[in-house]
Amino acid sequence: MTQTADPLLQEITGPTPGQLLRKRIFGHQGLLIGSIVLGLLVIVALFAPLIAPHDPYAQSLLARMEPPVFLGGSWEHPLGTDHLGRDYLSRLIYGARVSLLIGLVAALISGLIGTAMGVAAGYFGGRVDAVVTFLINVRLAMPVVLVALAVVAIFGGSLTVVITVLGLLLWDRFAVVMRASTLQVQGREYVAAARAIGCSNTRIVMSEIMPNIVNNLIVVITLEMAHAVLLEAALSFLGLGVQPPTPSWGLMVSEGKQMMLFEPWLVLIPGFVLFALVLSINLLGDGLRDVTAPENRN
Amino acid sequence: MKRILIPAAALAMTAAASVQAGKSDDVLNVAFTKELENVDSYFNSSREGVVLQRAVWDGLIYRDPETNEYKGNLATSWEWIDDVTLELKLREGVTFHNGEPFDADDVVYTVNFVADESNGVKTQRNVNWMKSAEKIDQYTVRIHLKAPFPAAIEFLSGPVSMYPNEYYAEAGPSGMGLKPVGTGPYKVTSVEPGRHFVLEKYEGYHDSPKGQPSIGTIDIRTIPDVNTQMAELFSGSLDLIWQVPADLAEKLDQMGKFTVANESTMRIGYLTLDAAGRTGEDSPFTDVRVRQAVAHAIDREALVSALLKGKSQVISTACFPSQFGCDQDVTSYDYDVEKAKALLAEAGYPDGFKTEFYAYRDREYAEAIASFLNAVGIETDFKMLQYSALRELRMKSGSPVSFQTWGSYSINDTSAITSQFFKLGSLDDARDAEVAGWLDAADSATDPAVRRENYSKALKKIADEAYWVPMFSYNTNYVFTPEVTYTPTPDEVLRFTDMDWK
Repeated sequence: MTQTADPLLQEITGPTPGQLLRKRIFGHQGLLIGSIVLGLLVIVALFAPLIAPHDPYAQSLLARMEPPVFLGGSWEHPLGTDHLGRDYLSRLIYGARVSLLIGLVAALISGLIGTAMGVAAGYFGGRVDAVVTFLINVRLAMPVVLVALAVVAIFGGSLTVVITVLGLLLWDRFAVVMRASTLQVQGREYVAAARAIGCSNTRIVMSEIMPNIVNNLIVVITLEMAHAVLLEAALSFLGLGVQPPTPSWGLMVSEGKQMMLFEPWLVLIPGFVLFALVLSINLLGDGLRDVTAPENRN
Repeated sequence: MKRILIPAAALAMTAAASVQAGKSDDVLNVAFTKELENVDSYFNSSREGVVLQRAVWDGLIYRDPETNEYKGNLATSWEWIDDVTLELKLREGVTFHNGEPFDADDVVYTVNFVADESNGVKTQRNVNWMKSAEKIDQYTVRIHLKAPFPAAIEFLSGPVSMYPNEYYAEAGPSGMGLKPVGTGPYKVTSVEPGRHFVLEKYEGYHDSPKGQPSIGTIDIRTIPDVNTQMAELFSGSLDLIWQVPADLAEKLDQMGKFTVANESTMRIGYLTLDAAGRTGEDSPFTDVRVRQAVAHAIDREALVSALLKGKSQVISTACFPSQFGCDQDVTSYDYDVEKAKALLAEAGYPDGFKTEFYAYRDREYAEAIASFLNAVGIETDFKMLQYSALRELRMKSGSPVSFQTWGSYSINDTSAITSQFFKLGSLDDARDAEVAGWLDAADSATDPAVRRENYSKALKKIADEAYWVPMFSYNTNYVFTPEVTYTPTPDEVLRFTDMDWK
C-alpha cells in the first residue's frame, strides 16, 4: 500500500499485484454473484441439521403434497410437503449436502486422475504422451451418461457408487487441459534451469510446473463440479442415483414429475435450486478464469 | 425410434387423424400405458393382453363379473365325468372372424397346443393343469386334467380362450399376434405391434353372456407417459384412459369435466420376508418376532387412505377377499410402533438392524413402506429393480424383504395366489411343509368344504407366522369423457362390450 499524494510516484510504482487482484475480483460481477450463491449453499449444506425446520425423513401420509406458503400453504411447511408428506424445505436443505458432496468429491477424484495423467503426458512427452492421448481419446469416445447408467445399473445405485463412477469418468477435461498447460510451461527457462542444477523430476513438477498451471486446474475443477452435480441429478432422476430415502434434488424432480400438470412447484422448486447451484459454480469458475488469466494482467 | 419409422408413423398419424372425433364417427380412442409384446393371449402376461384377449376371443365358459355366476359361452353346458375329466357341449353356429366355423376340432387343437409345454405358452400356470382334449362328436369335447383341479371352471372362463385350429396351425403365435382371429365381440383390423391396435365390432357375434358390442371402432394407442395421456384427453384425441394414478384421478375428478370411475382389482400388495433364511441363516427375519414387528410397524390404514385411495382395502390374508377359500378370520396386526420396537428388542435387536429392501413397482408406495420400517429402527438399503431381475434374484437366492404384488390373473380362487407362493417353489420364502401340505390338499380336493378348511388352515398359519405382511389391495382409476358410459368391473379388465355412447 503506497497511498501517496504524489501522482508521479503513483504512476511509477503503480498499484501492487495484490491491489490489482482485489480490484479485478470486486469488479467481476459474475465471480461475486457466483461465490455468494455458492457460499450460501455451502453454509446451508454444512449446517443443515441446524437450519432444517423438520426431519427430512419423517413422513406423514396425512399431510401429502401441501402447497408452499406462496401458493396458499402454511408456514409449518414453508415450501410445502412432498408425495409422502415430508417437509420439502428440509429435504431441499439436506439435498444440498448430497449434491455438493458428490460434486466436490467426484471433481477431486477425477482431478487427481486427470492431472496426474495430463502432467505426465506433457512433461515426459514421447510414449507416455502417446499412451495418455490414446486413453483420453478412448475416454472421450464413451458417452458419460450411458456408461454411468450401465455401471450404476449393474452395481446398484448408492452414494458411494455414484461418486466413484463420476469420479472415474470425468477426468478427461483435466487431462487435456493439464497436458496442454504443462507443454506450455515445461519449455520455459526456469524449468531448464532447475533441470540444469540437477533437480529430480518430482521436484521440477511439484515446485516449478504445478504452481504455474494450478490456475487452470481450479477453473477445470469448478466446471467439472457443476458437471458432476448435473449428472448426479440426471442419474437420480432416472432412479439410478442415490436411493430413497436420501434426499436428492434430482430424485425430488423425478418424484414430482407425475404431478407436474397439477402441482408444478414440486418440480420447479428443486429444479430452481439445482439451476442456481450449477449456475453459481459456473459463474465462479468463469470468474476465476477471467481474474487469473495472464492476458488480463495488463 | 419414431423418426426411424417415418412411413409407419405417417400412416399411423393419418389413421389417427381420421379417427379423432370420438362419438360422432363411432370411434373410441383408448390409451395403453405399457407396450404389449404379442397380441396372442397365450404369449403375453400383461394386463393389456388380458383386455385384448377378452375382446377378441371367447372362453368356453364365462363368469359374470357381477354375480360371479358361471355361464356358458362357447360351451352351453358342462359336466364332470370324474375328478379329471370334464365334458362340454359346444355352442352351434359360431364362426370365427375369418369365417371358419367353430366346433370340437378347434377346442381339441387349442387345448392340446397350449397344454404341451414345448409350445412355450408364456403363462404356463393358466394352462398346465390340462393334459389333453378329446373330440366326442362335432359339438362335444372332453378335457382331461393331469390331476383333480377344482379351479378348472374358473380358468376356462378366464385365460383359456379358443383359437381357430386351421388358421392357428398355419399362422402360429407370431401370425396370430399380427393378425388375430377369434370368435370374440371385436375383431382386430390393424396391428402395429406394441403401438397401435384397431378393433372393429364383429357383426356376427354369437349370443354370448358378454353382451353385444355397441361401439363401432376401438382405437388403442400405446402412450407410456401419463402426463401425455392426460394432455390428449384434454385435447379430445383420447376418450378413455385407465390405470390413472390415484392423485391424478383425484385432480381430474375435481376438474369436473371427465367421468372418473374407480374399481377394486384383485391385485394385492404385500411384503415377503425371508422366514426360511434363504439369504443366510442369521437373517433376522428367521425370527417370528422380527416378522411380527414388521407387520406392526406398517400403518396400512394410512397407506390405503392416503396413497392408494379409491376402493382399495386393508388386506390381512395372503389372498384377495373375494377369492374362493380366502378365509378372512386370521390374525391381523395393528399399527403399533411401540409394540414393533418391543418385539425387535425381544428378538435381540434393541437398536434395529440394517437390511436390503427390494421393490419393482410403485416406487412411491415402496418408499412409504420403507420409511415405516425406518421408523422402528429397521434401516433399509432401498433397491428398485426391474420385475424380471427381482424375480430371478428371488428365485435364486431369496431376498430379506421384498415388496411384491400379485393380481392372480383375475382368477377368483385362492389357488391362484396362496398356492403359487407357499408350495415350496422357488419363490416360496417361508418353505413351510405343513402349509404346503394343506395347500396341496385344498388344491386337489373337489369338495368345496374340504378346500375351504385346508385353505383356512394354511392362511391362518401364514398370518400367525407373518411369513407375508399383506398390506392392501389395489384399485384402478378409469377416466373417460362424459360422452362415454361405462361401469368398470372389479377384475381390472376393460370390457368394450359394456361401453356405449351417451
